[in-house]
Amino acid sequence: MAKKEPKEKAHVHKKTAHDLRMEKEGPKEIGRRIKEMADGLVEEIKANQDPTFITSQRGRGNVSFSEAEGIITLGDKKTHRNFLNVAHARKFMQTMLVTSKANDYLGNNKTAAIREIYYELKHTVGGTDENTFEDQSESDGVIVDLEHSVETIREKLNIHANPKGTLYGDITLIDRMHRNDEFNCLKLGRGGWSIMSRLEPNEIEIKKVNADYVLVIETSAMLERLVEEDYARKNKCILVGTSGQAARGARRLVHRLNAEFKLPVIVFTDGDPYGWYIYSVIKQGSMALAAHSEFLACPDAKYVGMTIEDIKEYGLENVTEKMKEMDVKRAKEMLAYDWFKNPEWQAELKTAISLGKRIEQQALANKSLEFVATEYLPKKIKKKQFLP
Amino acid sequence: MSKEKIEKKIKEEIELDPVTADTIAKEFKEHSVAEFFKKNKQMLGLYGKVRTLTTIIHEYVSNSLDACEEANILPEIEVKLDELGEEYYEATVKDNGPGLTEETVGKAFGQLLAGTKFHRMMQARGQQGIGASGCTMLSQSTTGKATKVITGKGDGKVISLELTIDPKMNQAKITNFKKVDKEYRGTAVQAKFKGVIYKDTQGGVLEYLRRTAIANPHAQIKFRDPKGQTVLFKRTLTHIPKKPKEMKPHPLGTTVDDLVTMSKYTESRKAGSFLKNEFDRVGDTSLQKIQNMIRFDLNKDPHQLSWEECEQLIQAFKKVDFIAPSTEGLSPIGEDRIKKSLESIVKPEFVVTLTRKPKIYAGGYSFQIEVGLAYGGNAGERTSSNPEDVKVELMRYANRAPLLFDGGSCAITKAIQSVEWKRYGVRDLDSAPLAVFINFISVHVPYTGAGKQAITDEEEIMEELRLSLMDCGRRMGIYLGAKRREHDRKMKQEMFYKYIPEIATALSSVTKEKKETLITKLEKLVKDKLGLEKLEAKIKSKQVGKEEQEKADDEIGKAVVVEDEGSGDE
Repeated sequence: MAKKEPKEKAHVHKKTAHDLRMEKEGPKEIGRRIKEMADGLVEEIKANQDPTFITSQRGRGNVSFSEAEGIITLGDKKTHRNFLNVAHARKFMQTMLVTSKANDYLGNNKTAAIREIYYELKHTVGGTDENTFEDQSESDGVIVDLEHSVETIREKLNIHANPKGTLYGDITLIDRMHRNDEFNCLKLGRGGWSIMSRLEPNEIEIKKVNADYVLVIETSAMLERLVEEDYARKNKCILVGTSGQAARGARRLVHRLNAEFKLPVIVFTDGDPYGWYIYSVIKQGSMALAAHSEFLACPDAKYVGMTIEDIKEYGLENVTEKMKEMDVKRAKEMLAYDWFKNPEWQAELKTAISLGKRIEQQALANKSLEFVATEYLPKKIKKKQFLP
Repeated sequence: MSKEKIEKKIKEEIELDPVTADTIAKEFKEHSVAEFFKKNKQMLGLYGKVRTLTTIIHEYVSNSLDACEEANILPEIEVKLDELGEEYYEATVKDNGPGLTEETVGKAFGQLLAGTKFHRMMQARGQQGIGASGCTMLSQSTTGKATKVITGKGDGKVISLELTIDPKMNQAKITNFKKVDKEYRGTAVQAKFKGVIYKDTQGGVLEYLRRTAIANPHAQIKFRDPKGQTVLFKRTLTHIPKKPKEMKPHPLGTTVDDLVTMSKYTESRKAGSFLKNEFDRVGDTSLQKIQNMIRFDLNKDPHQLSWEECEQLIQAFKKVDFIAPSTEGLSPIGEDRIKKSLESIVKPEFVVTLTRKPKIYAGGYSFQIEVGLAYGGNAGERTSSNPEDVKVELMRYANRAPLLFDGGSCAITKAIQSVEWKRYGVRDLDSAPLAVFINFISVHVPYTGAGKQAITDEEEIMEELRLSLMDCGRRMGIYLGAKRREHDRKMKQEMFYKYIPEIATALSSVTKEKKETLITKLEKLVKDKLGLEKLEAKIKSKQVGKEEQEKADDEIGKAVVVEDEGSGDE
């Protein structure tokens, strides 16, 4: 895999170009953009024209894998959203509601979770039995539209995802948004720090990191196991639990540790399509957030396990699970993804498909509870037994 | 010489010759008419308990309508039914017609086959005049009671009487005859019947009267059912229909037998002038052609024509290119009147009507078709209390008289079923909110049986019925297409409109533009966009309609195919 160009990645105390841009785009600037968009629509309405706004086209057709950068990027295909269109009218109305709400947040210096904005805006459309939003997926989609339309991220719109993920290890943070609380994540008890969804440098400052690498872990159970075994201290690393697919906050944090502190990122998931995909999102970014891969992805991340090789290596044949039909289908799809097209991953996926086997992180407990912390991870990491 | 005259002449001859075979024939005839009736009630439509009651009312009501029309009176008819016991009813029918005289009342109600309409080449509701007397007969044979009649001519004198029929003599037996000083014009008849049932279902009296009212928009009909509920069918027309003229027979509608009989009683002295005087459309040119084709001289005395010679004439008729029969005897209701009537009584969403040009069947009989399609609203029969459960209603008429029975064997039903209604925007005919009105007009309605409830499916009739229905269907299809588009447009407009307040509020909050201004502007925007589409649709449908109309007049199978979906582009 191609390495990310180092010149973009600033060192510890210097801010990245992205950071600078993000800082410049304060609430005022975003508010101005929102107003500009709304003014444009009002002008069209007054001129008896169909009000139309532009957003990026998302999905497969406008997403590609940049070999050079090693990340998934969004193309420049744009799409129009207009009101006088049977297929768009509802979405148009929803976008207006979210736009107005984001404008309020920025003006009143409030922030809301995506679930909160959903509930805040959900009501019955006058004279009908139709709701403005039937479920959260509708408002979530519209938020993404708006992000692209005013070319920013939702956090800048004072809208954030629900926090998800845990940080544990010898890292000192300052929460600039909350009384400038300063804390070390090794000293927050077994629970660690609950990763916020907003952690731009002006919000969460990373004061000090004492680690050699970041270990990203799929399941909370495994994270708990490693905390109990005191793995972070013993191996001088930072633990990031994602509890399944990594949320934006966790991804942004891992990216910052990788970019700002040059910490290698090692990913540890179940050996199945779901786990592999978690890894690929950490490494290359996701299709849904392709526009933001640049500051979410860690192209030089490595995959430590679980691998098919581990089954033989550690004699785990009895604790494998059968791949379900959906798993096989998913694995076959992944074979075709550009970013899995290196020989190592092709071999891994093909072997898994032909065996029809998957293996969970917890299967290592078959050896002993501490086996993962004392043998498996230290040895594999030391020997750099990674998949790229 | 008309058939009526012929009948008279035969009767006179019989009376002049008191002896022998003719006397026997006379007795035989009178016996047979009444006896025949008694034994063959079902042939006359008097069978089935519900149907019999409807037939009784039909006989009285059509007599009333015909009488009023002949006297140029706007009919006002009152029908009452009282339940006297189990399957035992009393029917009362009162009209404002010209009234009957002492002489005619007995014939009208007490003598079978004595009507004034028998054997006339004229369009009429009942063609045999057997009805009212048949009812008298039925009443006395089921209850032993006499039929009461009150009639007046509006001259201050009213006759009141009771009558029965002497079946052997085929004559009225009048009792309780009274003359009263009273101002009344019209005829009221009251008779009791057993073995009949009243139901307000299909084929019942109410439905019969409703349909009668539809086809006779100049008539006002009031009905009080046995439960005491009153329904009034108001007239929508204060104009009495044109009186149909009596017509001479057309050569192509004549049989050898007809010709032989007519030739015996003609006043003409030459066969040629006999044909010219007594037949429709026979002129000198056609006589010349006929002469060239027959083996005898047309100067011959018509009274001397043999059966064989008459056969020659009939053969020759077939080769002469006669002008189609005169249509003067036909009296259609008229497109506008049917429309008004259907609108008033059926209360549909819209109506298309059509009166076609007269056509000929079997060579010599003129006939004419009128079609009305009433769609939506209250059109169609309700099959349950749920207003959505609807069935198509077929309203068949012959000379404005409703045909309520034997629908399956009727040419009208067959024609309706043979039309591809899908082409005209009706997806499923059976469950369509549709009333199909068809009036078959002819001086000679080819009924399938003596019950006179179904029309024979002669080829020319079937074809003309189909063309009429398709022609009317096309017009309805255009309407339905436009309606569907309008509906789509409304749905779309609603869909956009409902979001406008939300959008206006949101944009107003960001831009500080007035919410009301935005609402007004957005609504205008939606209207403008959809208005344009509507206009386009209109232009499109008009073009299609016009083209189709032009080429479709006598062509089967051309139709506007109504689009299944709206013209929307999204």
